[in-house]
Amino acid sequence: MKIIINGSIEEISSGNSISKILEIKGVVAKDMVSVQLNDEFVKKEDYDKLFPKENDSIDFLYFMGGGQS
Amino acid sequence: MKKFSSKSIYKRFLKDDPHGALRMPVYENNAFEAGSAEDLEAAFAGKRMAHVYSRISNPTVEYFEQQIKAFAGAEGVVAVSSGMAAIASLVLAIAKSGDNIITTKHVFGNTYSLFSRTLKPWGLETIYTDLTDLKGVSSLINKNTRAIYFEPITNPQLEIVDIKKLAKIACDNGIPLVADTATTPPYLLDAKEHGINVEVLSSTKYISGGATSVGGLIIDYATYDWGQNPLLAGDAKKFGPLALLKTLKTKICRDMGNILSPHNAYLQSLGLETLVIRAQLSCKNTMAIAGFLKNQPQVKEVNYPGLKSSDVYNLAKKQFPNGAGALLTFSLESKAQCFRFMNHLKIIRRATNFNDNKTLIIHPASTIFSEYTPELRSEMGVPETMMRLAVGIEDIEDLKEDILQALEAI
Repeated sequence: MKIIINGSIEEISSGNSISKILEIKGVVAKDMVSVQLNDEFVKKEDYDKLFPKENDSIDFLYFMGGGQS
Repeated sequence: MKKFSSKSIYKRFLKDDPHGALRMPVYENNAFEAGSAEDLEAAFAGKRMAHVYSRISNPTVEYFEQQIKAFAGAEGVVAVSSGMAAIASLVLAIAKSGDNIITTKHVFGNTYSLFSRTLKPWGLETIYTDLTDLKGVSSLINKNTRAIYFEPITNPQLEIVDIKKLAKIACDNGIPLVADTATTPPYLLDAKEHGINVEVLSSTKYISGGATSVGGLIIDYATYDWGQNPLLAGDAKKFGPLALLKTLKTKICRDMGNILSPHNAYLQSLGLETLVIRAQLSCKNTMAIAGFLKNQPQVKEVNYPGLKSSDVYNLAKKQFPNGAGALLTFSLESKAQCFRFMNHLKIIRRATNFNDNKTLIIHPASTIFSEYTPELRSEMGVPETMMRLAVGIEDIEDLKEDILQALEAI
């Protein structure tokens, strides 16, 4: 299915949790990143419970680097 | 891993060290190279876990923040250049012109200066009250109040407020409770359990491991809904309870350039590992010295919350089960006697700091609070006859001997 990750359309198999998608995208330190699903903040305890659907939008941001957002 | 001593030592690095180093190296460099222009763009946008510039973030500083986060059980930590930088950054993040903060005049002298002098021309109002008068605190809160700010053990008055009751007032009114915990860092005070939302503290003190370096920490437990704060409401929609952390990291501290230096982060990371054993010994020594001073005929008054004779003993025991800190105050008959006592000390050093491994003494009225009028000093609870002893980890018998010979010389 197609979902939008950090503004780019990407092909991700359906049935993946946010946790799994972060893993696929190489987010190695999950406690260092904040995640939004369709512009809504996602609590860490929900990473395994939420399964994005076709055309959903996921954004993740590290509070390091330049931190532009 | 649940115990403080273990948590402070076993925090893993975010990325494996290529040489298998067991201690986080000091990354004493300014810029970090990206593999491609796209990677650099992603790093600047916060979409890639990478440091770009040490004024903004640095691996050694980040590791120290992660250590503190694990140690305190917090959600977010920002390490800055001093305790005052922590307090100032936090206030700038949550309050603007026309807003107010409720606190007491019984705070660290430079904190009082920050609130009453530095930030006042920018339109920030500070409402001073007696925080032990909980009904009075409630009556002062208005729609522009952005925080209740306090010290769990005030320095140098060593007063204590019932933190859970103060936290309930803050919570019921939708404002955060902010505590300067320099004298009672994590291990001595479980801030989250007591309802404190954010800790700001000087890591120069207990955490630095023996007065090695200056630093400060902002510790956020993510227990406050920052959507209630006008400055953070926008970020709260996207970042939820991490809105304060996001604002500090990507605006306030980045723009002011006040993050901790890598070298100081290294020293304080090392210091954190021995915090528990140093705190245990210095609290034990403080209790022993307080009892010893009470039995000296020249000493008019001894104040230490851990003393059974203290008015706040029961509250101190409940709130600080691992020890009521390593600060005590005691009084002689006059300022002149205090100076003579201090000048005759041979082991105890005359200096303005606390939680050094060495025992330090200072006369607060003529130093930290000297810029204030006698009337204001009186309101601040800093009399001329009082000295502050910051007890270290020396052998207790040597400290007693030093105090005794100096008392005999006054």
